[in-house]
Amino acid sequence: MGTPIIKVTNLSKYFGRLHVLKGINLEVQPREVVCVIGRSGSGKSTMLRCINFLEEPSEGEIEIHGLKIPAGGKGREHYKLIHEARLLTGMVFQEFNLFPHMSILENVMEAPVIVKGMDHAKAKEIAEMNLARVGMLFKKDEYPNRISGGQKQRVAIARALAMQPEVMLFDEPTSALDPELIGEVLEVMKGLAKEGTTMLVVTHEMGFAREVADRMVVMNEGELIEEGEPSEVLAHPKHKQTQALLDRYRTAD
Amino acid sequence: MKLFGSKQTTEPKSQAELLYELQQRKERIFRTNVGASWVFLLLFLYVVFSGDSLGLDAISLDSKFIADNFAFIGKGLGVTIYISLLSIALAIVLALFAALGRLSRFPPFYALSTFYVSLMRGTPLYLQIFFFFLALPQLGIVMPPIMAGVLALGMNYGAYMSETFRAGIGSVGKGQREAAIALGMTSGQVMRRIVMPQALRFAIPPMGNDFIAMTKDSAMVAATGFVHELMWRATRQGRATFHNLEALIMAAVFYWGMTLLLTAIQSRIEARLGKGDR
Repeated sequence: MGTPIIKVTNLSKYFGRLHVLKGINLEVQPREVVCVIGRSGSGKSTMLRCINFLEEPSEGEIEIHGLKIPAGGKGREHYKLIHEARLLTGMVFQEFNLFPHMSILENVMEAPVIVKGMDHAKAKEIAEMNLARVGMLFKKDEYPNRISGGQKQRVAIARALAMQPEVMLFDEPTSALDPELIGEVLEVMKGLAKEGTTMLVVTHEMGFAREVADRMVVMNEGELIEEGEPSEVLAHPKHKQTQALLDRYRTAD
Repeated sequence: MKLFGSKQTTEPKSQAELLYELQQRKERIFRTNVGASWVFLLLFLYVVFSGDSLGLDAISLDSKFIADNFAFIGKGLGVTIYISLLSIALAIVLALFAALGRLSRFPPFYALSTFYVSLMRGTPLYLQIFFFFLALPQLGIVMPPIMAGVLALGMNYGAYMSETFRAGIGSVGKGQREAAIALGMTSGQVMRRIVMPQALRFAIPPMGNDFIAMTKDSAMVAATGFVHELMWRATRQGRATFHNLEALIMAAVFYWGMTLLLTAIQSRIEARLGKGDR
């Protein structure tokens, strides 16, 4: 195996006295799709948010594409590293978080122009290419509040892709969507996986995980309790908490 | 063409269309009636105050005084607008700093902001105006009258408006900042590109209200006797010849007209800012 895109070492996170992450170790290899499952409150979103430092880790180390950032760093050097790490990761949120005062096209062009200092024409080209990739080019002049939730999430994916990150982080990308809109977003994500995009996906979509993920990771109370090939984990869960989690999904279906 | 036309007439309108048209008609009738009532009220006011020209038993205004002083009092309108524009500009700058100070985690900046807002909101505007005109000269600080008026109005309204800005900044969700940060923006870029444009859109309607209120509060500056704006001119002419009724009505008409105009402009701006909403 080559150098991993993401390497999380002994990651811990406290919110006050609450111990949310208890020494997580995780690697994501290039072109790999890893799905993280676990009940709500198990710390899966917090782990994802620690990887691009939306949450500052309490202990441990995050390594993105060879860039090592230890927890608890201070000062200019530390924040410069975080900034570089963020440029290597694209994040998709549960609530889309499109910028409502900008058109769809402007949403996708914003970061390449402002953050990377790319010239307008080039940024437009990249934005249109990525909007086409998620099937949203036809709405490029609309404003976010005029499109559906599924369409918003596809635009949010294009916005993250336009920064040409090494890895895409998905934080429950379909959890805020009406059931009939989930499919279009998962389709786009499947397409990305096929193109070889490295992805770390926190999700409740077992079908997607089984079909697309190379590896499945199960979290419970701030720990990784199980990890393996999705079909294997789903068919023969080793840990009884995994079993309980999967039972809940089955009864919900 | 003919085919299309005949098709249109033969197809009956759907229930929904009929209901919609009914609603539209009701709305139109309501608005027409409101408009007609306004015209009636204005006419009534006019008749009440025009006993002189119509020969009725009503309050009679001295139309000669009105004609003679129209230009003199009207000139004050320009001064009023001038003071208001300068004051609002000052207020916006102060409000922005005060709002940022209020959101700052740097104690002196936070303290300065809360201190300023508390002081300005804790004392009457009337007192503040006199303070700049009468108290400061005692300390040897004498400024041009218009400047003193603008400072008093601007500082006072800046304090109130900072709350509007703060609410505007607070109205921008955490997710917006996070999305921008995750894209690699610095905190300055997040503020400039993502938070401020949305906060301003939220703050512009109340800012418009503040501006309209300020144009009228600028009348208080007249009390100092040094700034020759609308109110000063009206009271001066009225008192000099004991035509206070005419003079004040004239000033009222000027203020009212200006307010109507500003309100119309405000709703225009609001409509334009609405893009991206809904």
